[in-house]
Amino acid sequence: MRLDFTLNNRPYRLEAPDHWTVLDLLRDGLALTATKYGCGEGVCGTCTVLLDDEPVRACLVLAARLRGRTLLTAEGLESNGAPDRLQSAFARAGAAQCGFCTPGMLLSARALLAANPTPTEHDVREALAGNLCRCTGYTKIVEAVLAAAGPR
Amino acid sequence: MRLRPFALVEPETIPEAVEILARLDGEARVIAGGTALVPTMRLGLVTPDRLVSLHRIAGLSEVRVDKGMLEIGAMTSLSALVRRSVVREGWPLLAQAASRVATPPIRSSATLGGNLCYAEAASDPAPALLCLEAQVRVADSVGERVVPIGEFFTGFYETAVAAGEILTAVRVPPMPEGARAGYVKFCPRSAEDKPLIGVAALVTLDGAKRVSDIRLALAGAAPTPIRTRRAEAALQGETLTDAAARAAADAAAIEADPLSDLMGSSDYRREMIRVWVRRLLLSLR
Repeated sequence: MRLDFTLNNRPYRLEAPDHWTVLDLLRDGLALTATKYGCGEGVCGTCTVLLDDEPVRACLVLAARLRGRTLLTAEGLESNGAPDRLQSAFARAGAAQCGFCTPGMLLSARALLAANPTPTEHDVREALAGNLCRCTGYTKIVEAVLAAAGPR
Repeated sequence: MRLRPFALVEPETIPEAVEILARLDGEARVIAGGTALVPTMRLGLVTPDRLVSLHRIAGLSEVRVDKGMLEIGAMTSLSALVRRSVVREGWPLLAQAASRVATPPIRSSATLGGNLCYAEAASDPAPALLCLEAQVRVADSVGERVVPIGEFFTGFYETAVAAGEILTAVRVPPMPEGARAGYVKFCPRSAEDKPLIGVAALVTLDGAKRVSDIRLALAGAAPTPIRTRRAEAALQGETLTDAAARAAADAAAIEADPLSDLMGSSDYRREMIRVWVRRLLLSLR
């Protein structure tokens, strides 16, 4: 099937098999591997991407749903080689260990801050509830998101 | 791991969709948001050769109020439903239950129609819709019919939607005047899980603070979401005292027919029904 969509601020037009998910298209079709394959069932959150600014699981959404829409992945966060505010805050807080969950964390956090620029710690924990991290215990991730948000 | 290859059909109207389903005669599956179907396909539990996706059908994602009834297009995502102020203000019970489903990335893909058609016994929205006495619109190549939500869930992961039919909309009558309502979800492990048990209640009290209307429904308490009529009968005309709430909770626990699974045993679920029905009722005094 033919797909036209916007990915990380660039227009794309490509052919994809009917049975591909957004994750298949990103990783195998476009070799954009920031978005990870974790559980494949929508539970772990590491494949979280923003579709029309809303967080979705790339492993659950069929690629056909991209038509005419706008997708943002972790590759699209930096501008001119410089990390964005959340990426910088994650680096400063030491919010990554193995890093496998980080792309999904960044995009879930970005969706939260867009909807709620001054979240409480509870808001952050709720927004990240669907992003599993098996290394950090979450504390530094939550600190990083709160730091990126700035003072309430 | 990739999904097993299938052909995707993307009709643009309801008549086109039901015509395709009739032509394929049970060979195709309908896909809405995919949050339930895609994992079951990945696990190889269903292996359709054809999927009919409803996402291109205009109007299936509309939410509007028609003569006091809330009409929700089947493809409305749970996050879009909860974002609508008309839903939050007029049908807070439904907004509360829908906002408790899984996580934000699931709610932005998952649809209300898909949630009902999957017929998960531990659905968060289902008990709210049972209390609100919603109706479900179902279309096929012959026409349309309306199924009361109380007759929609027919068995374990089974619904009244037959092969060749599509759930097109959910209609929700207005909340009764002065009614109080709430939904509680009990997850022993993690907040984003489906509920071990979920309880929705809608209570109207008369001038003497006696229960004049009570609707109580449970998720995770039987092979399907259920209304608990005996517990309701136990409360009718009563004052919502601790003793009355306890009696109703006991009735609900007896009426329930919970399954055992990895989340909890049947006995544990029954005990938790007792606890959470009582707590919810007392919070609505």
